[in-house]
Amino acid sequence: MNVGLAWRLLKGGGRRGMLGTWLTLGAVAVSTALLLFAVAVDFAFAARADRGAWRNPVPAGGRTAVAVEASRYDYVRGKEITVVDLAALPGKSPEPPPGLSRFPAPGEVWLSPALAELADRLPAAELAARYPERTGVLGDEALVHPDELVAVAGRAPDAPELTAARDSDWIVGSPPVKVASLAGEPTEDAEGYQVLALIASVLMVVPLLVFGGAAARLTVARRDQRLAALRLVGATPGQVVGMTVAEAVIVAFAGALTGAAAYALAVPLLSRVEIDGGPWFAADLWPHPLVMAGAVVAVPLLTGLSAVAGLRRVVVSPLGVAKRETPPGMRFVRVLVLFAALAAVPMMSSDTSATVIAVVIGLAFLSLNLVGPWVVGLIGRITAASARRPARLLAGRRLVDDPRAAWRTVSGVALTGFVAGFLGLLSPGSLVGTQDTGHLRVSAPAGQAAAVAERTRDRLKEAGVAAAVTTRKDVVVIALKEATRITGQDARRKELDEPLTQADPAALDRARTALAGLVPGRTPTTEADDEYFGAQILGDIAVGTVVVLSVSFLVAIASAGITAASSVLDRRQTYALLRLAGTPLEVLDRARRAETLIPLAVMGGGAILVGAFCGIPFMMTDPNLSGLVTLLVCVGVGFTGVVGAGALSRPLLRSVTADPAPRPD
Amino acid sequence: MNDVLAGRGLTKRFGQTVALAGVDMTVRPGEAVAIMGPSGSGKSTLLHCLAGIMKPDSGEVRLEGTRIDDMGERRRSALRRTRFGFVFQFGQLLPELPADENVALPLMLGGVARAEAVRRGRKWFAPLGLGGMEARRPGELSGGQAQRVAIARALVTRPAVVFADEPTGALDQTTGHDTMRLLVEATKHNGASLIVVTHDPGVAGWCDRTVEVRDGVLLAAGARA
Repeated sequence: MNVGLAWRLLKGGGRRGMLGTWLTLGAVAVSTALLLFAVAVDFAFAARADRGAWRNPVPAGGRTAVAVEASRYDYVRGKEITVVDLAALPGKSPEPPPGLSRFPAPGEVWLSPALAELADRLPAAELAARYPERTGVLGDEALVHPDELVAVAGRAPDAPELTAARDSDWIVGSPPVKVASLAGEPTEDAEGYQVLALIASVLMVVPLLVFGGAAARLTVARRDQRLAALRLVGATPGQVVGMTVAEAVIVAFAGALTGAAAYALAVPLLSRVEIDGGPWFAADLWPHPLVMAGAVVAVPLLTGLSAVAGLRRVVVSPLGVAKRETPPGMRFVRVLVLFAALAAVPMMSSDTSATVIAVVIGLAFLSLNLVGPWVVGLIGRITAASARRPARLLAGRRLVDDPRAAWRTVSGVALTGFVAGFLGLLSPGSLVGTQDTGHLRVSAPAGQAAAVAERTRDRLKEAGVAAAVTTRKDVVVIALKEATRITGQDARRKELDEPLTQADPAALDRARTALAGLVPGRTPTTEADDEYFGAQILGDIAVGTVVVLSVSFLVAIASAGITAASSVLDRRQTYALLRLAGTPLEVLDRARRAETLIPLAVMGGGAILVGAFCGIPFMMTDPNLSGLVTLLVCVGVGFTGVVGAGALSRPLLRSVTADPAPRPD
Repeated sequence: MNDVLAGRGLTKRFGQTVALAGVDMTVRPGEAVAIMGPSGSGKSTLLHCLAGIMKPDSGEVRLEGTRIDDMGERRRSALRRTRFGFVFQFGQLLPELPADENVALPLMLGGVARAEAVRRGRKWFAPLGLGGMEARRPGELSGGQAQRVAIARALVTRPAVVFADEPTGALDQTTGHDTMRLLVEATKHNGASLIVVTHDPGVAGWCDRTVEVRDGVLLAAGARA
């Protein structure tokens, strides 16, 4: 009975009722799509970590070893190549690693599709000659991302690549390890990315929760009077709740399906976002079907629950909606909670345990949400007391009347301001690196530097690469001659005691190719190569910051728009009667704008400052220009977005006030 | 005596429904007129046309000799703000504003400084039996008190005509009659005319005369005995 009646009420809601329904549907769709994204991000990084695990060997330990595995990094055109050396132990037939049809025999080389394509495109002397016996192409199961450059080389177990001493620094690869299988385990940096993804998900979910509240408020705005009327004619609280749940769930289910479809359409676009060196397999960004189904079921149910919570006044008393009294003041203790959290911030440093940092920052973030309505109420009192014109008076009184509702409108942007303030200070700019590509260095086995230098000269001469080869202890240094000087890094140059240079990429790759296998298991690298990982992770943090802030702002702006629309629908009768009595539409609109902009300016600015304050103990470098620019852009986009979203409900205001007497009575 | 408000040959249709079919109606200065009729008869439509809220399909409305039905929305809106006052059944007070600011709002909209507007608005409280309730919000007032605040707000700009649409519809009989008495007395005391739409003959009894609308036509006009 409830579902049938709810469906009839939904269909018979009229033009304005349908407008509210469409807005709710849109809000739920955006929530679902972003929720799927926030969840998919974690699954995507987990999938990458799993696929890359086979290259991170786990020592056989007590189990029977079947193969030897080692990996190292090589470079071409400034991109990283992961080179994996594999050898089956005598008498063993290990399972092939993922993406290979069989275990590579000594001398065979499998390349990833992107590396194979690059090897075909560049002159052989710059890349292809490093892999003289190309046997096949790696399948996607072997790759972290589709553009990844990977080479798998089969070796004999006693080959120099798997027996010679190697540098154990993880940044240049992993030394040979006897393994019981090629399952491996996720690398530390893959796990680090998973932690960052989890933090990003949490940062995106907080504004989503605020948004969910706004959507639920919209559903209540349309229903309260109608359901109060149903209570007046004798509907039981159970029936009212039933109808509320049924109607909210019908709309939200349609919204959730729309959101899932929108997410599906966005996957090709999202898969192009480059993190950790490359874009994504579309399949990685698809959450597990059960998660997808869970979201499509859970979001409507949560919306239904929110609607019930919003309607509890109607359920408690049929007159609950109509009676408006002076709201009790909020307690100052809210502010003390924020001060207490902020007082703990200066005591932290990069050495403080991650749990303590998370708790303090989390408390500051949450207490900001707690303090928000109190500050909005205070702003309202100041605005009302100082108002000279009707619009400001109305705005101020509205803020005092329901500071929580006003906070809901701006909280999304304010909380995003906190994130922006925090990240704006925290994000280091570019790595203070040398960017030197004019010098290749390779470690020679102890006492063999001179011999290796001699072989180096021969190979480079044969390849037609002009270079000066010297030795420094056990390191052979190759200074490419066609390189240009880098200026402006005097301190670093003095430290290295040689000029920093940048080589022509083609000449550099010819030199790398000529020197491939010069010292078994070791790759000649430049300073820029050694800085590759650091530069990449900083770039990824920057991309991640932009993604998180974009999602947060999208949610915040949509939330502001939905709240503004629900506010107009809430007050449609008062607006219509004021308009009928001659109140200019501009005054009503100006009051609405002031009601949003005044708390937005104060709370948005305040939240940025609090976020920046929380970020100070963790600053690695001086605040960098790009971080400050990100912050300013965020403030600008946030303000413009909220103002724009509010302006979008102006036609709705016009609509509810345009025809104050439509009845032919 | 010249009419303060005059509607001539007013017609209005909503789709196939004829709400007004050539209605003529005049109101003299200081006169209180009740418009009665069953639901759907067209009485609210007549009030809305006379008040410049709605444009008639044909016919004309004149306020103190000046035609108002052909004015643009902005001018009609300004006219409603300055020359007309309105009292509705409920819902016209802003729930966030205290009573005195609700009354002062039309003055502020007209450009009067806030302090002066509130001072002038408060003068209406004692005569309407609202002394001491200036700082209360609408939710803290009874139905009758809220209607008296609405009356003060309708009169604070010293309008030429006050329009009331079922002003006692949400009140009990005793409170309704008290409210009606105050509305008529205060309106006349200020030299304004009053047009009341009502179902209630008791309410109509407070007015100088009653007109009845049925199927969009003005049937009869009777002066109060």
